[in-house]
Amino acid sequence: MSVSSRNPAKDQVAIAAAATTGFTATNTDRSQLSYAVQACVAALRAAGLTAADVDGIIGSSAPTAPELQGALGIPVVTYFANPPIPFVNQLSTAVAAVHSGLCNVALVYHASYRLPWNTGSAWKDPFRRGGLAGGASAGIPESVFGSVGYTAWASRYLYEFGGTKEDFGLVAINDRSNAAGNPGAAMREPLTMEGYLAARMIRDPLCMLDMDVAVDGGDAFVVTTTERARDMPLKPVLINAVTLGMTGKPSETQTPSLREHGQQVVVESLKARGDFWIDDCDVYFPYDGFTIITLNWFENAGYCGPGEAGDFLRQHWDHATNRVLIDGRVPVNPHGGSLSEGASQGSGHFREAVHQLQGLAGERQVAGAQRAIVTAGGFFFNAQGATLRTDG
Amino acid sequence: MAVDISDEDLLARYPGYAIDHDTRARYRGWLEHVMLFDRCATCATWHEPPGPICPTCWSTDIEPTPIAGTGTIHLAITLRQGPPVEGVDYSTPYPVVVVELDEQPDLRMSGTVVGADNSEIVIGRRVHLDWALRRGAPFPVFRLDDQHGADQPGASS
Ligand SMILES: [Zn+2]
Repeated sequence: MSVSSRNPAKDQVAIAAAATTGFTATNTDRSQLSYAVQACVAALRAAGLTAADVDGIIGSSAPTAPELQGALGIPVVTYFANPPIPFVNQLSTAVAAVHSGLCNVALVYHASYRLPWNTGSAWKDPFRRGGLAGGASAGIPESVFGSVGYTAWASRYLYEFGGTKEDFGLVAINDRSNAAGNPGAAMREPLTMEGYLAARMIRDPLCMLDMDVAVDGGDAFVVTTTERARDMPLKPVLINAVTLGMTGKPSETQTPSLREHGQQVVVESLKARGDFWIDDCDVYFPYDGFTIITLNWFENAGYCGPGEAGDFLRQHWDHATNRVLIDGRVPVNPHGGSLSEGASQGSGHFREAVHQLQGLAGERQVAGAQRAIVTAGGFFFNAQGATLRTDG
Repeated sequence: MAVDISDEDLLARYPGYAIDHDTRARYRGWLEHVMLFDRCATCATWHEPPGPICPTCWSTDIEPTPIAGTGTIHLAITLRQGPPVEGVDYSTPYPVVVVELDEQPDLRMSGTVVGADNSEIVIGRRVHLDWALRRGAPFPVFRLDDQHGADQPGASS
């Protein structure tokens, strides 16, 4: 694999502030726009900025940048974009836009919303029925796209490595134990292995607790030059390296193997472009939209070999807190991740990473955290990640 | 093997499927129980999904070509829920596999398996193609190699 190490934006762009609305796993009586707006206002206020300071708007597909600009009364922007989920698409677009001068202060957001494609219960709200977004599989049971694709490769993981459902369950339990310390998390009740194994099967071999929880809520970020962020109220979080990763066969059915997809590209790219990797990481954020994705991230990041993630989690399990602490030190998704905080397409992972590095993570704070790694997204066409660090 | 049917009518026969200029030959093939995969006429490589150019040599001389329909189960799951479709019973639950075809390594297609217990539908089993009907239109299914024709196509026991 040949990835470039060229990274002129290294540490030149920073996240000045991050904010969230918190997440709810029921159909709230609110619009998607209302969550985006609430998070954006909170992020701007945390950065000591007003609408007039913003000249770039970058978010996921809904609300659109024009809708958000109008809702917030942002007077003028010179750049806006709505790249697809997951969240590194938004973050990397912001880094490129700020570093190149397309804009100077980018307001970056993702609003999570319960819709028919992520939860059947969304049909109960007539205002949500229009949001079908079915992807490639429009009602074809034999299509192996999206959620079904991850389930299919989970079957291969168990076949190749002889793993067990308990390996998946450790990912879910770690998230749930962490979510107990996060007031904004949707699912905070303790989870046992027995409870995990008894959860309703959705598509064998994955059950309801192997899949992220559909929520209403939003996250927002202020992204600007590191130079300017240093004059703002909060400690800047420098974007050391950011990348997407994809291979030549990025579809669910044609992906060559669990050892040859987008995640391996992401890892090689971040190691080539950035200044640190897992040995110098204080807090780790592997994406967990499906438990199988998290196991694969541990293996591809280099914490352990192929098929060994379950054993790795058991070896680094902190029984006192019923969660993973790598080498007794590094927590994994301390906010509860997508499985327990809520399905944020990675925005929650980044918001928590920012708060950890700014010392704003409350009772979840990792003492002296200076470096975070976020490996977001899945296997096929959405693997991505970033290394984040504090100044100096 | 070109079935004489308009693009409009083809779309109507296969609602929900991603049919466009690159994939329509496949679905015309389904109407005649022929499973077509794109093959490059220049370098002989098979590709999936169908596309306008060969990803291996960039030739645009692409020929939708019948496959033998034999292969090995590579991924195997069962669905306890899914889109409501005539003839699909998620309470069984409904098996879905991705089959690695004999034509070329890593060339795969997805489908259900009929005429077998779910406990037998496992990674590594040999399968072959058969046809079933949905809304009156043929679509491909798989059968396990050692269970020939015990059931009618479309029966998911
Ligand atoms: Zn070719």
